[in-house]
Amino acid sequence: MNGLLLRNLRLFFSSKTRVFFSLLGALISFVLYLIFLRKMMIQTWNSFNGTVKLLDLWLMGGTLAVTAIITTGSALSMMVEDRENSRLADLILTDQSYTKIHLAYLFSAWLIGLIMQIAMYIVMQSYFMLADGLELDGTIILPVFLIMVFSSLIWSIFNMVLLSFVKNVNTVGHINTILGTASGFFAGVYIPIGNLPNFAKDLMKITPVPYNAALFRKVMVNDQLTKVFNGVPQKMVANFKQKMGLIISGNSTNDMKILLLSLIILSVLGIILYRSNKNMVVSKI
Amino acid sequence: MLLKVEHLTKKINQKVIVDDINLKIYQGQLIAFLGPNGAGKSTTINMLTGIIKSTTGIVDLQGLKPNDTEYHQKIGVVFQNSVLDQELTVKQNLLSRQRMYKKKSNSLNYWIDKFHLEKICNQKYKYLSGGQKRRVDIARALIHQPQILFLDEPTTGLDIQTRNLIWKILNDLRKDTKLTIVLTTHYLEEAEYADFVYVINHGKIISANTVDNLKKDFAQNILNVTTDDVQGVLKFLVDISYKIQENQIIIPIDEINAIVLLNKIKNNISGFEYRQGNMDDIFVNITGEKVE
Ligand SMILES: Nc1ncnc2c1ncn2[C@@H]1O[C@H](COP(=O)(O)OP(=O)(O)OP(=O)(O)O)[C@@H](O)[C@H]1O
Ligand SMILES: [Mg+2]
Repeated sequence: MNGLLLRNLRLFFSSKTRVFFSLLGALISFVLYLIFLRKMMIQTWNSFNGTVKLLDLWLMGGTLAVTAIITTGSALSMMVEDRENSRLADLILTDQSYTKIHLAYLFSAWLIGLIMQIAMYIVMQSYFMLADGLELDGTIILPVFLIMVFSSLIWSIFNMVLLSFVKNVNTVGHINTILGTASGFFAGVYIPIGNLPNFAKDLMKITPVPYNAALFRKVMVNDQLTKVFNGVPQKMVANFKQKMGLIISGNSTNDMKILLLSLIILSVLGIILYRSNKNMVVSKI
Repeated sequence: MLLKVEHLTKKINQKVIVDDINLKIYQGQLIAFLGPNGAGKSTTINMLTGIIKSTTGIVDLQGLKPNDTEYHQKIGVVFQNSVLDQELTVKQNLLSRQRMYKKKSNSLNYWIDKFHLEKICNQKYKYLSGGQKRRVDIARALIHQPQILFLDEPTTGLDIQTRNLIWKILNDLRKDTKLTIVLTTHYLEEAEYADFVYVINHGKIISANTVDNLKKDFAQNILNVTTDDVQGVLKFLVDISYKIQENQIIIPIDEINAIVLLNKIKNNISGFEYRQGNMDDIFVNITGEKVE
């Protein structure tokens, strides 16, 4: 399987356009924030000191969730290309089992998602360091890394399930475009979840996206939040957390449970689907 | 016997695409499936390699069935379209595929050398010419040293030099390693080297024979003479079958007799053409129908 894993990674990273476009959705949310959103949000919370840094960290959290979703999706579009071009048939003709081939796609998407999140993190942290003097908080590096590992896994499986029966490269392109746009909304990056009508909130909450973003935000923002809201009534802090999507389902433990449950459901679905899709997705000679 | 196929049949949506095919293939043989577009050649190969399941029938390679993993070690497949990674170099492609086999085989350099790939080794696959791609494809199919190689229209679209190079390598391999080859083709010329030819039409084997016998029986060479004096020519055509089309006379005849005949009728004709029998002739003669 190592050979296959290496091949998948090599294929992904050998195309600069592929790497760039896989990040596009995340870059857009970053740039939109810089141009428009930041101003609006600062106006909302401007009575406090250090809101800028707080919002920078908040944005980074949401954007990392988006990155995990879209980069794993575009990593797995290689799987669909292989199906369409009969390359999958060729791979099946080796000594590798269909299960191993599938696992190699999954692992490579996982790794790619992780690497791209780290890259995105470095880009954003560096930018905010220069622009806003946001210092690097050493204590969050490990927890953030672990969340990246987890996010990449859950979204790799999600995308694998989503693409179970897709064997057309055009279709996967459309799916990724939709995913890229939708994930920004569902993560509450373009508009904080608190500003949305109830129906939209409920819709977001039935997907794992806002919980994932919340997990990132909570860890990243933590320190800055205590600083900014020092001496401010608890109620107001809770209000901020609700409005900005740091907590989705009442408390963080619950959010975490929902994420784990999603992971389990997606994994089961993934296993069921991959077992039944072989005959459909292998293109003939 | 290396590969035994009995009653192999494929139905898709009630339509019979491959109909009760039986084959016996021995080690070292070169076998050709000859048939027009849509005859069911690729479908047959797909079933023999295990990429698609047969509806009924048995495929047996020395006791192994197509869905056994060990079966994969024994077969190599060159697909009708190339299936290597466009973005990787030739070497990376071959190396990545080689790593996917358990059995260690000849070093990569052996194949690079054999198929004259040194110069293009570090070039991305997508920038190769058609003939270079095909050489890499075949190297890929042989990289795990299979016993039997399936080639789906291996030399379509290649120039004579590349075609000869490929055939030279394959023939060497047949001599050195007793490699068995099964290929599909539209052209009788491509089946030229085959020990045995299966002619397939509408999913059925309509004839199974050696190339020589097929030619003799169904695809005789044709002498086509043009003349204003049809009656004059016909006087010389005693005991020889022929067909008349306006001012042309079509005469199935071998080379020697053609020369003799041409000498006799040289004053009666205004021109002639002599051509090798081809697949169309075989089809017309076996089925009585033209290939659509
Ligand atoms: N999945 C499928 N569903 C329906 N019909 C199919 C399917 N696969 C093949 N066929 C039909 O089966 C017939 C045989 O196809 P096949 O590809 O085996 O022909 P072939 O001999 O390889 O032709 P060619 O020389 O053009 O490659 C064709 O009429 C084709 O339309
Ligand atoms: Mg074909």
